[in-house]
Amino acid sequence: MEKSNTKFFDRVKKNEYYIKWLKNPFTYVTAAVLLSLFQIVTLAATKNPWGVSGTLAYWGAWIYQGLGGSVDKWYYFASSGAQSTLAAGILNHGESWRNFGIIAGALAATLLASGFKVKKIKSVRQIIAAVIGGLLMGYGARLAFGCNIGALYSGIASLSLSGWVFAVGMFFGAIVGSKLLVKFFM
Amino acid sequence: MKEVVLDCLGEACPVPLVKAQNKLNEMEVGDVLIVQLDHSCAMKNVPEWARKDGHNVEVEEVDDGEWEVIIEKTK
Repeated sequence: MEKSNTKFFDRVKKNEYYIKWLKNPFTYVTAAVLLSLFQIVTLAATKNPWGVSGTLAYWGAWIYQGLGGSVDKWYYFASSGAQSTLAAGILNHGESWRNFGIIAGALAATLLASGFKVKKIKSVRQIIAAVIGGLLMGYGARLAFGCNIGALYSGIASLSLSGWVFAVGMFFGAIVGSKLLVKFFM
Repeated sequence: MKEVVLDCLGEACPVPLVKAQNKLNEMEVGDVLIVQLDHSCAMKNVPEWARKDGHNVEVEEVDDGEWEVIIEKTK
């Protein structure tokens, strides 16, 4: 029997289903519909709306505790619910696992599309902007008790007025952000 | 007719798009702009804008996670 000359992965690369499902990004509409379906599943299964950034505050607390600090006296973690979550640990925290899943899923998606690349940092400016932007987003998300997922997306999905208030604030914030971006990065 | 290469590697959205728009504005009809990028959402929105504007566009995957968007200015 003669062996095929083309390698397996070279054939996969040209397969129309591979190109359709894994290589090309989904359209915004497809992604939006999937997100909506899965947030309904999340709400039904966990009895809590989908959120992302609240978990990051816990991650920060666990890291701080791991370094020997204590957040027992912090107002943010003062509730008994927060204290028991912290005591139970990250492995027993369902929302942490969901965030791990988002990270692992994003990595898997980019690997399957052969799109993985370690990007170089172009300028010190990028680092400064990323740090300032990250701090502002994290701080803002905790002040608002949610980010664009927990406060905006899940808020609106729960027919809560607060989600729309968040949307208005985010819209004007995004305008300011875009102006700064064009000013400092063009 | 000239060819201009715009290095947007390591730049996140929407920087490649705005840079490409500004660059193309300074160019003459018939010139070719090659935008190098490695941000997957820019690989979507740069060709989308250029096609909507009526230019000839081709996208080439030059490496894993690295693309060149070739835009020929038509008007």
